[in-house]
Formats: sequence, C-alpha cells, structure tokens
Amino acid sequence: MAQAAQLLFDENGQPFIVMREQENQKRITGVEAVKSHILAARAVANTLKTSLGPRGLDKMLVSPDGEVTITNDGATIMEKMDVQHHVAKLMVELSKSQDHEIGDGTTGVVVLAGALLEEAEKLIDRGIHPIKIADGFDLACKKALETLDSISDRFPVENRERLVETAQTSLGSKIVNRALRQFAEIAVDAVLSVADLETKDVNFEMIKMEGKVGGRLEDSILVKGIVIDKTMSHPQMVKEIKNAKIAILTCPFEPPKPKTKHKLDVTSTEDFAALRQYEKETFETMIRQVKESGATLAICQWGFDDEANHLLQANDLPAVRWVGGPEIELLAIATNSRIVPRFAELNEKKLGSAGLVREITFGTAKDRMLSIEQCPNNKAITVFVRGGNKMIIDEAKRALHDALCVIRNLVRDSRIIYGGGSAELAAAIQVAKEADKIDGIEQYAFRAFADALESIPMALAENSGLSPIDALSDLKAKQIETGNSFLGIDALYTGTNDMKEQKVIETLLSKREQISLATQVVRMILKIDDVRVPDDEKMGGY
Amino acid sequence: MMRPPIILLKDGTENKQGKGQILSNINACQVVADSIRTTLGPRGLDKLIVDSKGATTISNDGATILKLLDIVFPAASVMVDIARSQDAEVGDGTTSVVVLAAEMLKRMKPFIEDGVHPQLLIRAISRASEEVLKYLNELEIKINGKKELREMLVKCAATTLSSKLVSQERQFFANMVVDAVNTLDENLPLNMIGIKKVSGGNLHESRLVKGVAFQKAFSYAGFEMQPKKYTNAKVALLNIELELKAEKENAEMRLTNVSDFQAVVDAEWNILYDKLQKIADSGANVVLSKLPIGDVATQWFADRDMFCAGRIPQDDLDRLMAACGGSVLTTVSQIEESVLGTCGNFYEQQVGSERYNFFEDCSKAQACTLLLRGGAEQFIAETERSLHDAIMIVRRAKKNDSIVAGGGAIEMELAKLLRDKARTIAGKEQMFWMAFARSFEIIPQQLCQNAGLDGLDIVNKLRHRHSTGEKWAGIDIHREAIGDNLDACVWEPSIVKRNAITAATEAVCLVLSIDQTVKNVRTPSGGAMPGLPGQ
Repeated sequence: MAQAAQLLFDENGQPFIVMREQENQKRITGVEAVKSHILAARAVANTLKTSLGPRGLDKMLVSPDGEVTITNDGATIMEKMDVQHHVAKLMVELSKSQDHEIGDGTTGVVVLAGALLEEAEKLIDRGIHPIKIADGFDLACKKALETLDSISDRFPVENRERLVETAQTSLGSKIVNRALRQFAEIAVDAVLSVADLETKDVNFEMIKMEGKVGGRLEDSILVKGIVIDKTMSHPQMVKEIKNAKIAILTCPFEPPKPKTKHKLDVTSTEDFAALRQYEKETFETMIRQVKESGATLAICQWGFDDEANHLLQANDLPAVRWVGGPEIELLAIATNSRIVPRFAELNEKKLGSAGLVREITFGTAKDRMLSIEQCPNNKAITVFVRGGNKMIIDEAKRALHDALCVIRNLVRDSRIIYGGGSAELAAAIQVAKEADKIDGIEQYAFRAFADALESIPMALAENSGLSPIDALSDLKAKQIETGNSFLGIDALYTGTNDMKEQKVIETLLSKREQISLATQVVRMILKIDDVRVPDDEKMGGY
Repeated sequence: MMRPPIILLKDGTENKQGKGQILSNINACQVVADSIRTTLGPRGLDKLIVDSKGATTISNDGATILKLLDIVFPAASVMVDIARSQDAEVGDGTTSVVVLAAEMLKRMKPFIEDGVHPQLLIRAISRASEEVLKYLNELEIKINGKKELREMLVKCAATTLSSKLVSQERQFFANMVVDAVNTLDENLPLNMIGIKKVSGGNLHESRLVKGVAFQKAFSYAGFEMQPKKYTNAKVALLNIELELKAEKENAEMRLTNVSDFQAVVDAEWNILYDKLQKIADSGANVVLSKLPIGDVATQWFADRDMFCAGRIPQDDLDRLMAACGGSVLTTVSQIEESVLGTCGNFYEQQVGSERYNFFEDCSKAQACTLLLRGGAEQFIAETERSLHDAIMIVRRAKKNDSIVAGGGAIEMELAKLLRDKARTIAGKEQMFWMAFARSFEIIPQQLCQNAGLDGLDIVNKLRHRHSTGEKWAGIDIHREAIGDNLDACVWEPSIVKRNAITAATEAVCLVLSIDQTVKNVRTPSGGAMPGLPGQ
C-alpha cells in the first residue's frame, strides 16, 4: 500500500513520478519497518552472544584479502564483519562507541540491546506504541542506573593487588587467560606509570605496544622505557651502552640543503674537489658537534648514507636511523631530551639519558630490536608482547587494550560493581519491583526491561555450560532471599556464587555506559517507521 | 482539405494543462506531505533514509527528510521550498508547514473538481490568511521581565525538542541551548555556536563549553612535550605557515660556490626562527594557526614551553577570536601583546576517544561550543539537528518575545475564529473560508494520529472546548488527554506559526494558480525523461 501511494496517475491514466528514481527505492513503513529492524538487530546480537563471559568462544574472521583475525572482542568482531544492513550498522556503531568511551564491555552492550529489542517486539505485538515502549525503557534505565549506583563499591585505587584482580576479570574472557596474572600486572603497571592521578587523566599515547612473533605469551614483558624495532646503523657498533647520553635528531646526517629550488654548476675539477671537500667537512663537523655535546648515542629520524655510517662507526658514535615520528616523541619524553632539528643547536642540555640501551635478539631468527631502559622519566613505557603467531599477538594486544581501559576507568572513577551478571540481576530485580508501582502502559515496558537485563547472566550461564534457566532462577531466588546483590553466575566453577569472594570486578562506569547506550540505541531503532533504501543493494533482513 | 499540424514545441516536450493538471499537482503535494506526516509531534516517528552512496540518515526534521527525498516533480518541489524557507527563516516547524499546506490543498481539491475557478479560491485564501494573521497578533502573549524571558526561552526550546530523539532529556538540552544563545552578542550570529560531536558516552555528558573547544589537530613529534594547561593564556591566532619551506614557489637559485650552500640554508632557517622568535617575544604562550605548523616549529615551541596547534579550521578560529579577543594575523612583523587574545583557562582533555583542546573563561566570551555525546554516530547527528532547531527557535524567540500555546491549541483557536468570521460572509466564498478553517485542524489531528489516539474524537472535543471559550485548550500527548497548554508550558514562539501560515498559504496559492506545465526534453544524453516513464 505504501508503495502504491507513491505512484500517481494523472487524468489520462498516465503515471507520473514525484521523487527521483523512486521506482528504484525500497520503502517499508509502519510496524513492518520496526519489526524488520528488530530482526536485523537481533541477528547481530545473536552472533555476539556466544562470546560473552570467561567461557565465551572466539570468532574467526577472514578479511577480503585473506587476513585472519581471531577475537572475542565485541567491537573488533563487529568492525570486521562488514555489516551491510543499515540497522545492523547501528549496532556496530553502538559497540564502537562503547569501545571509544570505555574500551571494555563491547559484547555486553550489543547483547543487551538485542535483548531489549526482543522484548520490545513482544510489546509491539500487543499494540503498544513504539515511543511509549521507548519512554518506558528510558524510565526503567534510570531506575536500573540508580540501583547500580546503590550497590556499587568504592575501590581502593592505591591498592595494586586489587587493581590486578580487576584487570584479571577483563582478561579472563580473552585468549591470554593462560598468563592471566602476568598480563593483568602488565596492564596495571602500565596504566599506573602513565596515569596522572591528580587530573584523573590517562594518556594512552604514552603506552606503546610492540609485538614480535615467537616465544610464549608468558615471555611478554613491560619495559619501563621504549622498545623500537630498529637496530644500530652499523653492525659493528656497540650493542650495549650503559648510562647513555642520547641525542635525538630530526635532521639528516648529510650536507644541509635549502628548500628553495637550487642548482650548483660544477664547471671544473677544482670545483668538484671543493664540493667533495665540503661534503666531507660537513659530515665531520656534524659528528664533532654530536660528540662535543657529550652524546654517546644518536637517534635520527631520517637516514644517512653509507659514508656517514662509516664515519660514525669510525668515530665510535653509535647511531640509529629511520626512527618514526611517534617513537621519537616517546623517546624524547622517556629520556627527558629535547628534539633537535639542527646540528648547530645541539648542546648538553638537550641530551637525554638512559640507564641502559641494548640490542635484544630473539630465538634463532636474526631479528633484533633496540631497547632503551632505565629512563629518567617513566611516563612513557612499552608493552612488549610475545606469542606463537601473529593472530595470538594481535588478540593479546586487543585484550591488553581492554584491560588498560578498565584500569584507566578505575583511575577516573573508582566505583566498582561485581561481575558475573550479578549487577544486572540486582538491577533487574529492582526494576521489576518498581514496575508494580507504575500505573499506565509503561509498566509493561518496565517489566520487559527487567527481563532484558536478565539476558546477560543468562547468556553467561549458557556459555559456561550451565543450564541457563535453572541457574538464573536459582540465583534470582537467592538474591531476593538474602538481599546479597553480589551473587552472580559461577562461570569458572569455583564453587561460590559470591562475586565479591571470587573477585570478579567490573567498573561502574562501564556498566552504566552499557545500559544507557543500549537503551539509547533501542529508542532510536524503535522510533523509525519509514525506511527508504536504494533497491540495488541486496540486503538481508527483508 | 488537409492542413499540416502546427508544431509549436519540440517533440517529446511534456505539456499538460487544465483542471487535470491542477489536480495532479495537488496529488503530488499530498504524496510529499504523506512522507513526512508521521514525524509530527512528540510521538512522531523517525525516517531512515539510505542514499545511493549508502550513507544512512535517521531524522525527524521535515526539511532534512525532504532534502534527502530528492523530489523532481515540479509542483511538488514547491513543498520542499516552503519547508526550506521555514527552516531558514525560523528553523523549526518544517513538518507542520508542509502538512498544513497539503491539507489546505486537499480541502480545495473538491472545489476544483466541482469547477470553481482557481482564482476565486486564491482570493478567498489570501483574504482568509490575512485574517488569520490578524487573529494571531491578537492571541499571542507578550512575555516581559528578564526571568520570565529566560523561562519562556527554555520552554520554547523544550517544546521543539519534545518531538525529537532527545525528548527524554529535553529540559537538560533546553537549558543548555538557552545558555548557549545567551552568550552571543546582539546579532546572535549562529556560527558562533560551535557544535562538536564525539560518539560514545551518555547524553548527559554533553556539555556547554563557555568558550571554544576543538579536536586536537594533527601534531608532529614534540607536541606531547608541550605543556597542556595554562591559566591566563595569551593566545596568538595566526594565518601563517610555520614551516621550513621554499619562500617562493617558482624561484631557483644558482650557486656558484660551495660555501654559499651553508649561507642559503642558514638564511632559510633564520626566516623561520625570526618568525618564531617574534611570536615568542610577543608573550603568547598558545599559538594557533590555520595553516600547518611544522615539526621544527613544534619542537621549537616545545623547547620554550609554549603550546601550538596547526591546521585549525576557519570557523573554530573565528569563534576563538570572538571568545578570546585578539585578531587573526597574517604576518608576524607587527605582532605584539595587544593583538593577542586572552583566555582564563586552557587545557587539553580526553573526550571519548579523542583529545580535545578547551579554551574557557575567555575575555570576550561571545562564543560557545556545544560538545555532544551519545551512542551511535547517527544518534549524535540527529541530536545536532534537533539542537540546531532549538537554537534557531531560541534566537527567534529572543528577538520576538511573544508566544502562543502549542499542541494544536493555537490552530484550533484560529480555526474557530475563522469559522465565526466565515459565517458573516455572504456567497460561495463562505464555503472556501470554511474549508480553509477546517484545514488548520489537521495539526491536532495528525498529532493524535501519530500518538495512536483517536484523532476525530479528540478534535471534536477540542472544538467543543474552544467554542466554550477555552482558547488554549490543546492536546497533552504525555497524558493523552485535553488540557490547557498554556498552563502545561507547551509554548511556541508565535513567529513560527506566523511564518508557517504565510508560507503555507503562499504555496497553496501558487500551486492552485498553475494551469499548465511545459517541461522541455532533456538533452539526448539525459536518457529517459523523469516524469514520463514508458515514453
């Protein structure tokens, strides 16, 4: 009917067109549109459902050019799935924004949104106006957030041990859980060393992540300094420097050139000789200048040719070439040096220092990396990840990033709640209780919201091989009976349901964000009643 | 006797005329209105439109939707135009103006079918619309007093926002918008309110920065070493490239002597260093430029504990100028303290996944920035459009401080007054006036329909209420009942209604007065002509 309304006939019975290319557009309206959106969004949520929790499984994604990614990070899966459907894209955006803001809980937010939509569909079938449902969800969301606030705990940020435990929760569901403790410690130490506890700000640009294939996950380390994938420019230079004075140069080791177009005419042999002489002198002056400043190591953003390399070696001045801009910056910060754009400006004050600079080698391969350690300023650090193959390293890096985010969020806001679905369950119970007090249709939306919240512990139980309904009803009864809101799903079979005892910790910030983001997106999807899509895209869902 | 036919128009030209033409024009306008009808009011739903490039827009804003629909039918594009003009003139009410115009056309259609001359209708409509505007002037309520004015602005903004995606947070945003507009100078320039979107976070984390905020620009090595926090910063605004580069693009130097080499290089460095030194001497400690600031300059500034950022967009720079004072310099030769802006508080902070630079407590403070947070990208995009509408409304309301009650109340009252007037008119024009009056009732009716209420029933009740003298009786969607909307604080600036009525009646007159369309063939390469498939 909607389609027919677009096609009009004039007095002669000839059709005429109002909108450009309207015959090529697909249009669905009304309840039908809302339902098809719900279907699409739920399909996405169902894909992610099995990745939730410590027993969640990974997804293998192959990109068009054959690159393989294995991950259970919600945001990464969504990003690599290359979703076509426009509403499903909203779900992708959803997990992305959770990723940007919090960095963790990207799977949970999508699952929750999917569950909310599922409940909304039932209500629409009963004939409730979509906006009424959305309004009800919004109110319920407020109530749920209040509940979360009330059950939250203060977290002692100064206590490193506790921080490590939190990081463990986040890492528990990832591939690195073999070296759980170690990775958690790496994450905590990394954040603590760059965090500014006063302004509660953590600059992630100061944490460098470097990975190298080979070795075991357990070999991963946190370097209080910088590791760069470069070697000394000349194989015969010293491989280890103690108490190094570092000069960081952003000018090439070659005779300076004017930026203006220029031309030098060499007309005679003498001229040529003079030119040679000049070049040689320049090199020597440069090296002298570096030497005079007292530097024992030169790190250069640009390259230098073999002649310069030889001269450097001859003058016993180790040097590194082609170091990238961001690394130069981190180095400068770590070693307290100033970046020098001209040789002429080099002096002792601009040099940085490091306790130990060495080349490290790995396994049988001749891969070498340069590690600069014991720096005066430990605001810049490197996490160095080892692993059996590239996929593991990439996944480990992602897992670490999540853990870093968790710790950062704790630094920002020290309130926590307990995981294992306990918080969702507690919120669900409160919301359901509140529902009975509401008159009007919102009551239904409230109940539906409570049901949707329960989907998180449910999915957790399912992924852990428990009988979801049994486990959930059991827990719910216990929570109501004892009033203990820390009871959650015992996904790791440790024998207790008390998440406080199990030390499964999540940040309040993350959970709040999950619930409010999911509610927001659901509102947005419910509010759409008319869709126009170019027909040539063969989309799923219709 | 055969006479050769006279060919006046090129073959294939579309030529339609007569009564049928007017009717099909009306039909086309109906289609346009139908496509946005359901977005009206607090229970209005959104439209999702995917364009041919695959970009998704979700919107509730009439003007935005119509723009995306890409309408080609000549008469129907009149509807798009009035929506646009409403958008440009007042910024809100774009849906209602289209719905209103379409309804007027619909009410006039039977008369055309019955053979009434369009000019008669047009005359009646323009006379009636003059009358309506007169009534509107009598009905509108002037707001006096500073406190009341602010309250009025907040309420108007809240009414606008109530139909949008952010309706749950409308109080929050309404206050924000009013504060934003209040920071502006008398001309209320719109471009001095910057809107920045950062996905992620909660709507509540959106904030109004009384000053300027922008995303950290691309930076060279050395940037992280610069201090990121100043109090009482001196800000130098430049339009200068601070980079080591060829001074003249097409110049070429011929060096005859090797020793000249160093001299030339030094000269180039000195040009740059001179500039940097002058900036530093002026006392500035925050340097911002529209053009790139190179790595050498970045490190030089870092060395002297100054902050710099290059490639700042022009509009941000303009806002900075309005906020901090100072002026944008294109040369450093006369840089001195008087041309620098001052800013009480400058700092860098993480917002979502981006780092932002904030300038607050500025000396002139005539610019502000709305930092929007929210879930998906489309969500913030729609929030931005909603806030834009609200800002426009507040701006208009600030200049024109009279209001009417929304929620269909004013339309019902106008319809009633018109009907009373119509009864005093003799002749068939009375019929036209009645029809015109009737068309105003579409607004409350549509509001009800969108909310899932019984439109006919409610409009009848409203009609009754108005006839007993309750002139502000309207629909209260949230309670799903009828109430006094002036008390319920559903307020709209009267300028919105005035403009909507004028625009709608003009459009109606225009559409009715067309009795012939001649559409030329497209140039052969254009392929099939739109509007005439199968020919």
